[in-house]
Amino acid sequence: MRLPEPVLTTHVNEPFSYTLENYLKWGGYAAMKKALAMTPGQIIDEVKASGLRGRGGAGFPTGMKWSFVPKDIPKPKYLCVNADESEPGTFKDHVLMERNPHLLFEGCVIACRSIGAKTAYIYIRGEFYHVQKQMEAELQKAYAAGYLGRNICGTGEDCDIHIHRGAGAYEAGEESALLESLEGKRAQPRLRPPFPAVVGLYGSPTIINNVETICNVPPIIERGAAWFQGIGPEKNQGPKLFCVSGHVKRPGVFETSMDVTLRELIYDFCGGIRDGHELKAIIPGGSSTNVLTPASLDAQASFDGLVKAGSMLGSAAMMVMDETTDMVWLAENLTHFYKHESCGKCTPCREGSDWMHKILQKILRGEGAMKDLDLLLSIANNIGGKTLCPFGDAEIAPVVSTLQHFRAEYEHYIREGRSLVPRADWMPRTLVPAHAH
Amino acid sequence: MSTVTFTIDGRELTVPKGTTVLQAAIQNGIKIPYYCYHPGLGVDGNCRVCLVKVEKMPKLQVSCSVVAGDGMIVHTSTPEVLAARAGVFEFLLINHPLDCPVCDKGGECPLQDFSYAFGPKDSRMEFERRTFDGDGVKADVDFGPTLMLNRNRCIMCTRCARFMREIDGDPQIGVINRGYHSEIGTSRDEGVHSLLSGNLMDVCPVGAITTRDYRFKSRPWDNPNAVDTVCTLCEKGCNTTLWIKAKQEWAKGAQLIRTTPRLNPEVNGYWMCDLGRFGYHWVEGDQRLSQPLINQQPRPWTDALALAGEKLRSAGRDGLRFLVSAHASHEEMFLLGRIAQELLGDAAPQAISVSWTSSAKDQPADTKFRIPEVNAPNVAGARALGLVGAEAAPDLSALKALVESGRLKAVFVLDPGPAGNLGDLSWLAAARQSGTLTFLAVQGVVATDLSRAADVVLPGSAWPEKHAAFTNMTGQCQTTNTAIVPPGEARDDWQILSDLAIAMQVPLGYESLRQVRDAIVATVPDSPAFARLAELEYLKPQKASTWLESSNASERVKWDAMFLDLPPFKFERMFEAAPRANVIPLKPVP
Ligand SMILES: Cc1cc2nc3c(=O)[nH]c(=O)nc-3n(C[C@H](O)[C@H](O)[C@H](O)COP(=O)(O)O)c2cc1C
Ligand code: SF4
Ligand code: SF4
Ligand code: FES
Repeated sequence: MRLPEPVLTTHVNEPFSYTLENYLKWGGYAAMKKALAMTPGQIIDEVKASGLRGRGGAGFPTGMKWSFVPKDIPKPKYLCVNADESEPGTFKDHVLMERNPHLLFEGCVIACRSIGAKTAYIYIRGEFYHVQKQMEAELQKAYAAGYLGRNICGTGEDCDIHIHRGAGAYEAGEESALLESLEGKRAQPRLRPPFPAVVGLYGSPTIINNVETICNVPPIIERGAAWFQGIGPEKNQGPKLFCVSGHVKRPGVFETSMDVTLRELIYDFCGGIRDGHELKAIIPGGSSTNVLTPASLDAQASFDGLVKAGSMLGSAAMMVMDETTDMVWLAENLTHFYKHESCGKCTPCREGSDWMHKILQKILRGEGAMKDLDLLLSIANNIGGKTLCPFGDAEIAPVVSTLQHFRAEYEHYIREGRSLVPRADWMPRTLVPAHAH
Repeated sequence: MSTVTFTIDGRELTVPKGTTVLQAAIQNGIKIPYYCYHPGLGVDGNCRVCLVKVEKMPKLQVSCSVVAGDGMIVHTSTPEVLAARAGVFEFLLINHPLDCPVCDKGGECPLQDFSYAFGPKDSRMEFERRTFDGDGVKADVDFGPTLMLNRNRCIMCTRCARFMREIDGDPQIGVINRGYHSEIGTSRDEGVHSLLSGNLMDVCPVGAITTRDYRFKSRPWDNPNAVDTVCTLCEKGCNTTLWIKAKQEWAKGAQLIRTTPRLNPEVNGYWMCDLGRFGYHWVEGDQRLSQPLINQQPRPWTDALALAGEKLRSAGRDGLRFLVSAHASHEEMFLLGRIAQELLGDAAPQAISVSWTSSAKDQPADTKFRIPEVNAPNVAGARALGLVGAEAAPDLSALKALVESGRLKAVFVLDPGPAGNLGDLSWLAAARQSGTLTFLAVQGVVATDLSRAADVVLPGSAWPEKHAAFTNMTGQCQTTNTAIVPPGEARDDWQILSDLAIAMQVPLGYESLRQVRDAIVATVPDSPAFARLAELEYLKPQKASTWLESSNASERVKWDAMFLDLPPFKFERMFEAAPRANVIPLKPVP
């Protein structure tokens, strides 16, 4: 069934939607009270039964993840909320934290109870300073009202939430790098196994979940797994936020269910492509996912639907491009991002990202050769699947998929020394930017 | 211990539970390259060259971090693995300066060797290489008092940073900047200040970290011989390799060119300290005693031995004392003790004093490699032979009082150690100079104020020049090996002592070091300090047959496993006709 009305973003357009007073007025913290009366096992079973899959990128079943936490070890357990939201094109967690922070807090308490944690850390992207400030104020109100801290609502349950601000690295959103960063080290990923659920923050069992994932937990507890199961296609259930940006008439964050198609998102939710232009390409799930062409418009915007279409749902960040977009420039731009953000820990990503970027710059300068295209694919192939963390797979997506769908544009650069696409007014004047790094 | 059985390349291996695929491969001579893995450091999984195919796992796996499981099937050489590995090697070299001709690691460089064996034939990189501090050797920058750093050569394996964190205990090295710009650094560029700094050269798989001591002094192919021995500069007894530079007779300079640690899990693991590593220069220094001296004038051995023998013998029961350094070996101490017994009978035990120095070493509180305070190799041996009490600290006050009372006729000093190892002996030299003491004989290796005051000087051998057994602080009985010959007319100490006994008319009758060792075991049969003495190999120089075999411990495992049959990858098309385009179109001579 299509989601009849928003669940996570019901009130986000109302003034002061973020306050505790309004949240309580709209029935907030009821799910928490319900959950505190349940056993941890019952909570996990409910979340498992709902079929909730992680909204951070990989779509891993949340209940199953929680059940990996060992129960019989004396170490403390932790919940870390991944609020780093750095995937280019993604701005959904921002909306939730800015306008509905108590939903996240409530979800944290429930998740903590289910895994036996007494402490949750919200690792928030460094640039979200203003959001953090407002969240801190609301957090204090929740503490004062007895929804957090010692003996929550008289149930004897304790839960503390700390908001930790990152210092500006995309890689800090990778879950094990996030843990390193939280511990005060460089945001570089850890080798797995052991997985964080067993050896995580400070060597203790730790669950890392995306903001939107945790925000889905209170509604599941409140309305039940069966309700959640009823929304959207099988194995891709529940409310889902989509962030659509680019050459559409009405970009923004939209909450619906995953039976929605790319066509519906672009033409119904966003009012279609801007006037006088036509759709050329779609990046469906953030810059780390493969570019699709209009041929995939009828693909379902779900975890499984987009895999079938040759891409991924990722962070559900749809970047829509019209015919004025130079796809070689796009690849160069995104590769610059990845080269800049590579943490440098492992060889293929550290060396390969820069090399690919140099080749793309050379092609943009009109100095490329046909063999450079095979070289790009070969470098991408030598990175993909060989790196320490999934960053390597992410960074090759723009290069490989634009080469797959738009090879003619590359070849035109090589043959003619210039773009196949007439220079659009929105594009920078010089195509090879003098990047700072 | 429980084991697991699994398969690599069709070979069934049974290994202890917890062994990684890479460890199992190394132990069984199966060729998998590695950089960030070091057997003495934790696994980091960053270099990605150890990729293998594990059946039932979709992606290639880094073998250093996959624990072998029962029934696991691993392939190290499928086309997929070979290509992936070659890809990583290409990445490692695209920004590497390839200044091998001026790089100290050249010739013993895992980056060279593994790239040669597993890398692609050529690079497709056409852009300028990354540089940090300049080009070529200009990129070498200070990295603390003992080291130099060349960031251009670094492959970011972080072994150095992990060594400092995990072994040294003071994480002075970190990575600064990010991604392509990552570099190894220390706080405020102060460099590494550690008594274990030399190990960083060993763990660095490229020429990024070099020691100031060895830099530019030699190349591996100039060091055809290396000798396995033990360090004698403290009571730890680290197992080491002494590297010997091939040198023409007429050429200036030393033969000992560097010291590297050699794996002994029970003693030093993979490591050694800087005091031992860099403390070998005195052995070939210009202060070495190289001729027998009487009244500081060179004289033949026979004269010097005859004079010393006569004076010591005639000093009598109450007139003779012996001072022995804890740098003396079991054999030397035993022979000296036997001489004292023959001459003095029951009075012998009181006539012998053993001395050494101790000093606290400045190390982090939780270091995994602690350098002992005692600066001598054989205090345990001296105690086991009964020359010094089981717990006693060196105490020369009684000897000093006796010397200064003027009642002694002669003192014999046995000291094969470096200058100053007996502590302050100015009182002894002064007593001889003032005439309070009438005869002083010194059997030693370096000229000191004491040897300059002696009537007779008998030049002995330093530890790299002889086979000599020592028992370390944990009770391990180990032997040094002959790496070089002693200078000039200097001789092996046990032979000097045997001849001295003859000159004293108390011949001991030992014709070989073996006989001396057997006599020690027979005399002190139950002492654990000598338990292994009879089995120790000796009088057989343990020359490594190639320099490869004597590389430092961690690499040695690799050499042995990898390169005894280096695959001639690069030459597979050697005999094919060169492509036409490469033929210079020469014009016919008119
Ligand atoms: C390079 C990289 C960046 C990532 N950035 C984020 C991020 O900003 N936010 C996020 O929730 N997950 C991010 N992830 C995914 C996390 O590693 C992790 O899978 C996720 O937080 C798990 O939460 P979930 O199970 O709720 O989806 C990133 C992954 C990678 C490899
Ligand atoms: S793929 Fe490697 S270098 Fe890139 S971000 Fe992950 S660990 Fe760092
Ligand atoms: S300096 Fe050497 S040991 Fe340190 S990271 Fe670089 S290559 Fe590795
Ligand atoms: S040795 Fe395995 S990744 Fe470096």
